[in-house]
Amino acid sequence: MGVLLKWGCGGAAIALTAALAAGAASAQTATREGGGGQNARPAPPRPKTLFNEPDPTLALTPGFGGANAPLKPRPGAPPNPDPKNFEGVWWLRGYEFMLGPEPGVPAPLKPEYIEILKRRIRAKNAGNPETDTSTRCLPHGMPRLMESPYPIEIVQTADRVTLLHEVAHNVRRFYINGQHPKDLKESYLGHSVAKWEGDTLVVDTIGVNGKSFIDDEGEAHSNKIHLVERFKKIDGGRQLQMVMTIEDPVTLEKPYSYTRSYEWRPDVRPSEYICEENNRNAPVNGVTVAK
Amino acid sequence: MKTIVKLMAAGAAVAALPALAQAQAHPDFSGAWQVSPYSASLTPSDGKPVPFKPEAKKVYDAHVAAAAKGDRKWDETTICIPEGLPRLMNINEPFEIMQKDRALYFVAQNRLPWRAYFNETLPTDVDPFYLGYHVAKWEGSKVVIESNGFRDNTVLDDKGIPHSEKLSLKQTYALAPGGKTMTVTTRIEDPDTFTRPWTATKTYKKLPASFQFPEEVCAEKLESTAPKR
Repeated sequence: MGVLLKWGCGGAAIALTAALAAGAASAQTATREGGGGQNARPAPPRPKTLFNEPDPTLALTPGFGGANAPLKPRPGAPPNPDPKNFEGVWWLRGYEFMLGPEPGVPAPLKPEYIEILKRRIRAKNAGNPETDTSTRCLPHGMPRLMESPYPIEIVQTADRVTLLHEVAHNVRRFYINGQHPKDLKESYLGHSVAKWEGDTLVVDTIGVNGKSFIDDEGEAHSNKIHLVERFKKIDGGRQLQMVMTIEDPVTLEKPYSYTRSYEWRPDVRPSEYICEENNRNAPVNGVTVAK
Repeated sequence: MKTIVKLMAAGAAVAALPALAQAQAHPDFSGAWQVSPYSASLTPSDGKPVPFKPEAKKVYDAHVAAAAKGDRKWDETTICIPEGLPRLMNINEPFEIMQKDRALYFVAQNRLPWRAYFNETLPTDVDPFYLGYHVAKWEGSKVVIESNGFRDNTVLDDKGIPHSEKLSLKQTYALAPGGKTMTVTTRIEDPDTFTRPWTATKTYKKLPASFQFPEEVCAEKLESTAPKR
């Protein structure tokens, strides 16, 4: 934890950043479902069950797919040419029920947390899922919030980047060149500080309570989870790429990374999402995204 | 002209100039604000009673009477339904304004945000929202925000002033000299609830720039008081 508190101002923090960047690079080259990237290699068959075990009670839910589908033309303003201007509405491409280093591959969980994941997958497949925080109208937690298939509006001010999530009106605030407070109180979304590395915004988040699931399948995390997100505009600003690196000394054998991208959506204005009224399936622009 | 030519040579810098000039020409309402002094009531500035229509007065009186007995079932914020406006600004909790050229953003952790867009006109036939639809314009050093399209299951203040979906608001935001105090004058019009439009004024104090919004989770409060299942 001492290393984390020195974020951005000490040699230890730099070493950690380098290690995380190395992990991120390997994640970036990973082939995503659907392929299509410049460095695409044949995708291995996506596991249909956890670890491909011949056990139908461990069947995985595949998600929406489409993370690498060709982008559709969208009406509205072209992307801002400034690579450090992330303002506007973005929308996750694809959707994964299980987060891990590859689609269909779970996080490198310690054995006891693999057992929890199996228990939750079996409960879901039996029609009696364990409820996570979002099901109870509590914040989604991190990293799960960033995997929500709903619009995110980004507002940038001098010392902050603010994410206004449509889903359950979650709000994340990244304090640029800020420091985590020493007396940090745990919360669902944690405390985030950020800094620019060239055109990449590197966001460091700690203080996430252990109440939320990492994903829809039910991977667990602890309150020691440490997230580093590297945001960068790609594709001429039509996509915001996010490389997520996750450490959790309680639940993980080792850190892991995955890559996501969010599409520039000038045609979308976030709507009101009231979990307490279960109005999540309201169509946006004629499309119902959440099933 | 010489200056202009030099600026044009700067290329991209020229594109940024109009926006910069516009931003500098207006006062900056950005920051975290909190109503001060807090009052549960929204009261008319002219000192007269709220000009309720008779049916609306009955509803209001019923809210007050129930609350006096500890019954706030009429108040859906107790089950985490959004406050609506202008109540959301007057619940004695901080909210934040982020001022951009395209819009003013109003955000309070972890409540619904709302946005007032510049250079737009209000929509006329909309599905109502808890926080409505908003457009903003500058009038000198003041910002005027017009709003409509509200759902009718909210109330206008903590005491329980009802309203219909015909509610429209016209809020005028002004900064006091020094920028540490903000005054918002709200004109309230709702022909189904009030006999005439009326106006109420609230003042807000600016919180220190170092203030960070703590995570606040309405549903967690509900879970702590819910009967065990």
